[in-house]
Amino acid sequence: MLKILGAVPGAALATSAPLGAAAQVLQEPSAAPAAPTAYQPKVFNPHEWKTIQVLCDLMIPADQHNDGAVEAGVPQFIDDWLNFKGGDLAAQIQGGLTWLDLESNRLFQNDFADSTAAEQKQILDRIAYPQKAAAGDASTVAFFNRLRDLVVSGYYTSRVGFKALPYLGNEPQSEWDGCPAPVLAKLGLDKKDQKL
Amino acid sequence: MPQMISSPQVYDTIIVGSGAGGGIVAYNLTKAGAKCLMLEAGSWYDAARDSKWLEWTYDAPHRGALNTEGPADYFSAVVGGWQVEGEPYRSAPGSDFMWFRSRMLGGRTNSWGRISLRNGPYDFKPYSRDEKGFDWPFTYEELAPYYDKAEELIGVFGSQEGIENLPDGKFLPPPAPRCYELLVQKACRGLQIPCVPSRLAILTKTLNGRPPCHYVSQCGRCCRLGSNFSSPVVLLDPALTTGNLEIRCDAMVREVLTGADGRATGVSYIDKKTRKEVQARGKVIVLAASSCETVRLLLNSRSPRFANGLANSSGLVGKYLMDTVMSDVTGHFPALMDLPPHNGDGVGGMHLYMPWWNCQRQQRHELPFSRGYHIEFGGGRQGMPMPGILGGSERFVGGGYGEDLKRNCQKLYGSFVGFHGRGEMIPNEESHCEIDSDLVDQWGIPTLKFHFKWGDEEIRMAAHMQQTFQEIVKTAGGEVIESYGPQEQWGISRGGQGIHEVGGARMGSDPKTSVLNEHCRAWDCKNLFVADGAPFVSLADKNPTLTIMALAWRTSEYIAAQVRKGEV
Repeated sequence: MLKILGAVPGAALATSAPLGAAAQVLQEPSAAPAAPTAYQPKVFNPHEWKTIQVLCDLMIPADQHNDGAVEAGVPQFIDDWLNFKGGDLAAQIQGGLTWLDLESNRLFQNDFADSTAAEQKQILDRIAYPQKAAAGDASTVAFFNRLRDLVVSGYYTSRVGFKALPYLGNEPQSEWDGCPAPVLAKLGLDKKDQKL
Repeated sequence: MPQMISSPQVYDTIIVGSGAGGGIVAYNLTKAGAKCLMLEAGSWYDAARDSKWLEWTYDAPHRGALNTEGPADYFSAVVGGWQVEGEPYRSAPGSDFMWFRSRMLGGRTNSWGRISLRNGPYDFKPYSRDEKGFDWPFTYEELAPYYDKAEELIGVFGSQEGIENLPDGKFLPPPAPRCYELLVQKACRGLQIPCVPSRLAILTKTLNGRPPCHYVSQCGRCCRLGSNFSSPVVLLDPALTTGNLEIRCDAMVREVLTGADGRATGVSYIDKKTRKEVQARGKVIVLAASSCETVRLLLNSRSPRFANGLANSSGLVGKYLMDTVMSDVTGHFPALMDLPPHNGDGVGGMHLYMPWWNCQRQQRHELPFSRGYHIEFGGGRQGMPMPGILGGSERFVGGGYGEDLKRNCQKLYGSFVGFHGRGEMIPNEESHCEIDSDLVDQWGIPTLKFHFKWGDEEIRMAAHMQQTFQEIVKTAGGEVIESYGPQEQWGISRGGQGIHEVGGARMGSDPKTSVLNEHCRAWDCKNLFVADGAPFVSLADKNPTLTIMALAWRTSEYIAAQVRKGEV
C-alpha cells in the first residue's frame, strides 16, 4: 500500500491540530556550521583561502546584532560554489585575488591579507563603487561585483543571514493573516485595499 | 532466462502514466470495480517520506542549488527535467524545443504550480470565434460537470468573479493577499486590469482528511501533509485502497500491442531494473504518459495493420503540438524597500493574478492578436531565499562593502517582483513531433524529433505582454529592470519551456481530421483511449492540468459505461 498519508502521524489528519502535525515533521535543528578550520578548500590554495577570509570579513563584518560572513560559513560556501559551478567563475575570483596582492604589494609592499585594515580599505574603495570607479579598473570592478554577489548569496542563505535579513518564513502557520498592519501603513494601503 | 516475460493475467484496464490524467482514470475505474494495472516510467515517490518540506538552504548541498538546466532546485519534487540521462531527443534544424519528462510516481503533479483554471466557453470554440485553429468537439457546458467533480475532489481555492470566459468553480476560500500583491493590485485597478484571487489546488480548509495549508510557500517541494494536490496523495492512494489497482514503477512502455482484429491487447514495456521486456495484457488501454510520450508510444506501435503507427490513419499523430506563450518583465519597487519585518511566505504560489481582460476588444479587432493571456506574478518576501539572492545589488545601492552593504541588502530584500505572461498559442502546421529514425533511448526505444515555430500572433502577444507589464511596474511606482524588445522577439519563451506541451493526438468529430473521438477514444482502435494533454485541440491561456483532469474524468466515465454495455 501507498503510505502517502499513512506515514504522517495520526494527528496530521485531525482537523484540530494541523500545526502540531507540522511540528512533528519539522526537522531536528541541524548542528551548527563546522568551524572554518575543519573545512578543506577544494578550489583555493592556502594563501587564497586566507585572503578570502579577510575579504568576507570586510564585505559583511559582524555587528552588534549578528555574526558576520566568516562566522556564517561564507568562505566555505564560496569555495564549494566555485567547485560546484565550474566554468570560468573560479578564474575570475582567483584572478581578482591575485590583482589585490599585486596592488597591495605595489602600494604597501605587503600581500593584501597581511596589510592593515586601512590599507585594505584603500584598495577596495577603488573598485567597490562601480559608478565612481575609473574606466581602467573595469575588470577589477567586475571581479568585486562577482565577489560581492557570492558573499551576499552565501550570507543570506545561511542561518545567520536569515536572522539578519530577517527571513521570517518556513514557520508553519495554522492561519494566514495577509499583510500586517504596519506594512500596509508604510505602503499607504488601507483596509479597503486589503479587502478582496 | 528468457528476455521476454509475458504475464498471464488480463487486466480490465492498463493505464500508462501516473500523473494528473492517469491518476483520475485510476481513481474512477478502480472505484467502479475495474482491475487496473498502472505503469510508471519513473521511480516510486511518497511525499510523506521523500519531500524536502521545511528543510533549510544551509542544511542542503550547495544551499539547494542544482547545476542542471531546468526549473527545479534541490528541494523541488522533480525527478526528470528537460534533460534526462539516457533519454535523448532532438529538434529539427531551425527548431528549438525543450521536452520535459517526469520520471516519478505522480509525474509533474508533485511539483506543479497548482494553478487550476477552467477553460471558458470561447476556449472550446476558438475557430468559431476567430476562424483560427480548430474547435473542440464539445462545449464548455458539456465539460463543466467534470470540472466541478475535479475541483471538489482535489480542492481549489478561488473566488466567484463572473469574468468573461473565466468560469467560476467550486472554490475553497482564497488566502488574503501578500503585501507586494496589494501594491500591484492597486496599480492594476488604475489600469483597469482585473487582479483577483488566484485559483490554486491548495487547501485552505480540511478536505477529505487532508489538512489545510501551513503557509510555508513550498508546494514545489510537494507537501508532506497532502495539503496540496498531487496524484499519489489524492488519486492513487484512494485507488489503491479499493484493492483494484496495481502500480508498477520503472516500467518504460515501448508499444501498444494489437491483435489481428485491430484491437489493443496489451502493452510491451521495459522493466528498467532488469532491462527485460515484459508484456502485460488488458481489455482497455489508456495512455496518459504525457502528451509527447503518448505520441511517441502511438508512433512506435507499428504493425502490418498500422504501418504508420497506431491510431494514425488520419496522419495527425504528433501534429499541432502546442505550448504556452511566455514572456517576463521584472520590476524593482522602492516602495517595497525597508519594510517592517514580516513573514511573506503564504501558499506555494501567487495569492492574486490577472486573468485576460480584452475579449471584447479582440472581438472588435482592436488588438493585433486573437487570443488571450493571463499574468502570473511573484516576488517580494515570498519563499526561502535561495543562492543568487540580491545578485547585482550594486545596480540599486551603488556597490560598497561592510556595514553599509549589509544595511543596504536588508533594505533591498523583498523589493523585486516578476511578471510572467501565460498566453494561448494557435496550433500551426509547423509545430509537431515525429519518430527520430536515427536515435533511441537507453531502453532501445526510438525517440522523438521536434519541429516548433511560434506564429506571428504569438510574437505580437509577447510584445503586448512586455508593454503591459512595464506599464504595471511604472504605475506601481517601480523601475523596470528586466524586459525584452523586438530584437529578442519580445522575450518569447522557447517551445516546451512552459512545460505545457499539449496536442499531438487531437480529438474531433471526424476521423479524417482527428485522432480521437469526443470521448478520447482512438478512431482506429476501439479499446484505446488517451487521458493526458495529447487530445487538446487548442491550448487556452489557462494552465492545462485542471482540463486534463476534467477530460480524463469524462473519459473514464465513458470507459466504465462502455464496459458495462459490453462495447469494448
